[in-house]
Amino acid sequence: MSNEAAMTQARRTKGMSARERKRALVAYSFIAPNFIGFAVFTLGPIILAFIMAFTEWDGSNPMKFIGIGNFSSLFANDRFVAALKNTIVYSLFTVPLTLVAALGLAILLNQKIKGRTFFRTVAFFPYVASLVAVAAVWNMLFTPSKGGLMNQLLMNVFHTEPLKWAAAPNTVMLTIILFSIWKNMGYYMVIYLAGLQGISEDLYEAASLDGANSWQKFWYVTLPQLKPTTFFVTVMLTISCFKIYDIVYMLAGGSNGVVNKSAIVLVYYIYEEAFRNWKLGSASAAALVLFAIVLVITLIQFRGEKNYAND
Amino acid sequence: MKKKVISTLLAVSMIAATLTACGSSAAPAAEAPAAEAPAAEAPAAEAPAAEAPAAEAPAADEPVTLKWALWDKDATVYYQPLIDGYTAAHPNVTIEMVDLGSTDYQTVLGTQLSGSDANFDVVTIKDVPGLVTLANKGVLEPLDSLIAQDGIDLSVYSGITDQIKVNDALYELPFRRDIWVLFYNKDVFDKAGVDYPTNDMTWEEYDELARKITDTTPGAEVYGAHYHTWRSTIQLLGILDGKHTIVDGTYDFTKPYYEMVLAQQKDGVCMDYATLKTQGLHYSAAFYQGNVGMMNMGSWFIPTLIAKVKDGEAAAAANWGIVKYPHAEGVAPGSTLATITALAIPTSAPNKEAAWDFVKFVSGPEGAEIMASTGNTPAMSNDAINAKIAEMDGFPTDANSKDALTAAAAYLEMPANEKSSEIETVLNEQHDNIMNEVSTVDDAIEAMNEGVQAIIGQ
Amino acid sequence: MSSKTTNRRIGKVIIYIFLVILALIMLIPFVWMITASLKLNKDIFVIPYAWLGFEPRWQNYIDIWTKIPLAKYALNTVKLTLIVTLLQILTSSFAAYAFAKLQFKGRNLLFLAYIATIAVPWQVYMVPQFIFMRKLGLADTHLAIIILQAFSAFGVFLMRQFYEGIPDSLCEAARIDGMSEYKIYAKIMLPLSKPALSTLVIFTFVNTWNDFLGPLIYLTTDSKKTLQIGIKMFISQYSAEYGLIMAASVLSLIPVLIVFMALQKYFVAGITTGAVKG
Repeated sequence: MSNEAAMTQARRTKGMSARERKRALVAYSFIAPNFIGFAVFTLGPIILAFIMAFTEWDGSNPMKFIGIGNFSSLFANDRFVAALKNTIVYSLFTVPLTLVAALGLAILLNQKIKGRTFFRTVAFFPYVASLVAVAAVWNMLFTPSKGGLMNQLLMNVFHTEPLKWAAAPNTVMLTIILFSIWKNMGYYMVIYLAGLQGISEDLYEAASLDGANSWQKFWYVTLPQLKPTTFFVTVMLTISCFKIYDIVYMLAGGSNGVVNKSAIVLVYYIYEEAFRNWKLGSASAAALVLFAIVLVITLIQFRGEKNYAND
Repeated sequence: MKKKVISTLLAVSMIAATLTACGSSAAPAAEAPAAEAPAAEAPAAEAPAAEAPAAEAPAADEPVTLKWALWDKDATVYYQPLIDGYTAAHPNVTIEMVDLGSTDYQTVLGTQLSGSDANFDVVTIKDVPGLVTLANKGVLEPLDSLIAQDGIDLSVYSGITDQIKVNDALYELPFRRDIWVLFYNKDVFDKAGVDYPTNDMTWEEYDELARKITDTTPGAEVYGAHYHTWRSTIQLLGILDGKHTIVDGTYDFTKPYYEMVLAQQKDGVCMDYATLKTQGLHYSAAFYQGNVGMMNMGSWFIPTLIAKVKDGEAAAAANWGIVKYPHAEGVAPGSTLATITALAIPTSAPNKEAAWDFVKFVSGPEGAEIMASTGNTPAMSNDAINAKIAEMDGFPTDANSKDALTAAAAYLEMPANEKSSEIETVLNEQHDNIMNEVSTVDDAIEAMNEGVQAIIGQ
Repeated sequence: MSSKTTNRRIGKVIIYIFLVILALIMLIPFVWMITASLKLNKDIFVIPYAWLGFEPRWQNYIDIWTKIPLAKYALNTVKLTLIVTLLQILTSSFAAYAFAKLQFKGRNLLFLAYIATIAVPWQVYMVPQFIFMRKLGLADTHLAIIILQAFSAFGVFLMRQFYEGIPDSLCEAARIDGMSEYKIYAKIMLPLSKPALSTLVIFTFVNTWNDFLGPLIYLTTDSKKTLQIGIKMFISQYSAEYGLIMAASVLSLIPVLIVFMALQKYFVAGITTGAVKG
C-alpha cells in the first residue's frame, strides 16, 4: 500500500509524460458512456434546479429572479424549520444504528450456517416488500391502543405507561426511526456481504498465526478492510436518511395526506412546496439546504477515506 | 499540453451539455407568456364577434381528437357513457381518455401542464385547491367570455360557481356535485329497537340517537357513529349555519362539534381516531362491518355501496338508508357540504373550440342526465335528476332516503381561495392534534386562528 | 468433549435462536401480504387481524388479470428492468474502473460531483427534467424511463468502492505485461467483482422494478404503463381494493426474490482470494 502511494507521488513530481496523457484519455473514455447520459439528463436539470432556488417559478409562468429571498422566507417558515430539525434528529439516530445492525447481520450471515440463503433472503425481505404491507404489520404491533403488542409489552414487562407511537408528537419520530432501521438494514447488509467477500483469507490466516482471537480479527482485519464499503454505506445511508419521505408519509400522514410538524421531514416539505403549492423556487431552495448539509458530511467522510488510501 | 486541451475540451462539453439541458428546459418557461398572451386576449377579441355567430361556428365535419385528462378510467362508470353521448351527436369528434391515476393526479397533471408543449384539450379538476394552483399557474383558460357568449345559465349550479371563482374569473365548469349525507344501517337500529334517523334532526338529537344504539361490550362493539379521519367530517359541520366559512381566519365555531365528537370518542360511541388513523381503515370497510350505526359521508359512496351490497362484500350493511345532515338549532334542515368535480380547458389545448363544446355538453343538461343514469349526482341538481338516481336498482326505497338527495343549501368544503392549500395544511394539523387529544380544543382553535391569519396576512 | 467445543456448540445454538426470531419478525409482513391477498377488502384493516381461519378468496388472483391488463404491464416492466439493469452494469462498472484505478485530472472533483447529485431529491428537478425530455420528444416513451434509470451515480459509486478494495498491484502487474486498460478491466476486474456486480444487479433490479413515480409522470398511454402503476390502479378515488393490491404485490415480489436468491450465492467468501494470490 505505502509502496504504491510512493510511486504515485514519484510519478506526480515527474510531470506529464506522453504515457500519462494517453492514460488520461483512456480514463475519460471509461467515464464517458455513463457521464454523458448522467450529465445531460441528471446533472443539467439539477444545475437548473439550483438556479431555480434563487427564483420564483411555478413551472409555467416566467421565472422571476429574487436573489436569496427564498432562503430567508424558508427559515422564517416554522414548517421548514421543523422539517430540518426532524430530519437531522432522524438521521443522527438512524445512520449509526442501521450501520451497526447491517454490519452485524452481514457478519452473522457470512458464516457457514445452515439455511444461510433463507436467512439472507428473509433479512432483505422488508426492503423489497410492499410498503403498505410492511407499514400495516408495523402499525399492528405499534398500535396506539392498549391492545397492541408493543404496548402490552411496555405495560406487562416494563410496567410503564402505554405509548401512542405514531399518533403522538413526542413518539412519532421514534416510531419512524425504529421502523426504518427494521426496513432498511437488510439492504445495507447486502452491501456489507459483498464487501466482506473482498477480504483476503490470507489476512485472517496471518492474524491467526499471530494468535489473534475472533474479536481481534474483527477489529484489526475485518473493520479496516471494510473501510471502502463502510464509506459507501455511511454516505448512502446519510443521503437516504436526509431524503426520507415515503416512510414518513406512510406512518405519519393522515388519510388527508398531510404530515404534521411533529413528523415533517425535508423532502416531504419539498414535495409539498413543489406540487401542492407549486412554488418550485422555494422547493429548490429547501433542496439546496439539504444538499449543502449532505455535502459537508460527505466531504468530511471523503477526507477520512483519502487518508486511508494513503496509509 | 495535450492533456490540458483534452481536459478543457471535456470541461467545455460538460458545460455545453448542462447548458443545453438548462437552455431547453428554461426555454418553455420563457415561451410560456408568449403562448399565454394570445390566449388571454382571445376571448376579449371574440366577444364582439359573438354578434355574428356564423363567423365563429366550429368547422362541423373536420375530424378532431380531444385528449381528456382524468383518473380511474376503468373504475368510473360515467366516462364512457358521456363520451358516447357526445360523439353520437358529433361523429367527427374522437375523445381519448388519458388516465393519470387517482392518488397523485394533481402532481402528474401539474407536471404535464408545465412548460408549453402540453397537449391536453380537456382536463378534469379534482378539487378546489387543485383548481386554484392551476389557475394561478396560468395554465387554464378563463371561461367567462365563452359562457357569456353562449348564454349559459349558471344558476342551475345552485350558487356553486360563485364559490369557485379565482381572481374573479371562472376557470372550470362543474359536472359532478356530491353532497354530504348521513348513511345509516337499518339493522343496527332495528336490533337496538330505536327509530331510524330522520331528515330533520338537530345535532343534539343526532348525538342522543348515536348514544342510544351504541354497545360497548368488548368483542361485540356497536358504534353509534363513525367519523372518517378527514377534518371535513367534524370541522366542517360548523360552516353549515351559513355564517362562517373555512377560510375566515377564525374557527371558534368548530368548538361545539369537536366537543361532541371527543365526548363520543371517550364513551366509545365512535372508534378511536388515533387507531383509525394508524390502522388506515377505509370508511367503506368500517361501514361494511355492520357494526356502525351512522356515518356522515359524501353521496359518492352511494354507487360504491350499491355495488358492494350486490357482490356480497357489504352484506352486513345491505339494509342501509340515507338522511339529510343534522342541523344546528335555527338552521333550515338540509344544509350540507358539497364537493365538485369540474372540467377545464388548458391554455395549451390544441382544439379549444371543440373542447369547449364538449365541456358544455358534459356540464350541461344532457351530461347531467347521463350522470344521473349511472347513479352519480351531476352538478346541476333538480328534482327530476334526483328522482332518476333514487330509481336506481339498489337505492333504498324509503321516502326519506329519496328526499335526502335534495339539499336546501350546499357549501363547498373549500371555497376557492388563493391560499387554500396552505390553509388546509394548518387546519389538518390542528384537527389531528384535537382528535389525538394532543391539544385541547381551545388551544388548537387558537393555533388555527393564528396560523391561518398569518397565511392570509402574507 | 472439551469445553471449547461445548462453548462453540452453545454459541451456535444461540446464533440460531437469534436468527430464527429475527427471521420471524422479518417474515410477518410477508405472511400478512399473503393472507391479505386472500381476503375481501373490508376484512383486511380490522382489529384483530385474522391470520388464520378465514375462507381464502382465490378469486383475487384471477381478478387482478382481468380488471387491469396486468400481463401487458408486467411485460413492460420486465423489458424496462432488463434493459436498465444491463446498461447500468456496463456503464457503471466501466466508469468506476477509471475512478478507482486510473489517474487523471479532476478525478476526485468529478467523483464528488457524482456522489453529490445523489443527495438532490428528484422532486426538485423532476419538472425541468420532464420539460426537457418532452422537448426531445421523449415524453410517454419507455426510452425516457431507461435514460432516467440507467445512468445513475449510485452504480458508479458502488462499483468504485469495491474496486478500491482490489490491490493496485494486480493492475500494475498486468500493465507491465503489456495489457491495455480495457483488457485489464475485462479480464481482471470484472471477474473479480462478481459480489459487487451482484449487489448492483440486485439493487438496480429492485429499484427499476418498484419504480412508481417516474413511470407515472412519463407514461400516459395505457399500453406503455408498468406493473407498479397497475397495482396503484386498484386504489381509486373512492375505494381501495387492498385484497387485489396484495395479490398483485405478492406476484410482483416473486421475480425480485428469485433474482436475489440466485445472486446472493456470489456472496461467498474466498472467490477473490485465489485470484489475488495468483
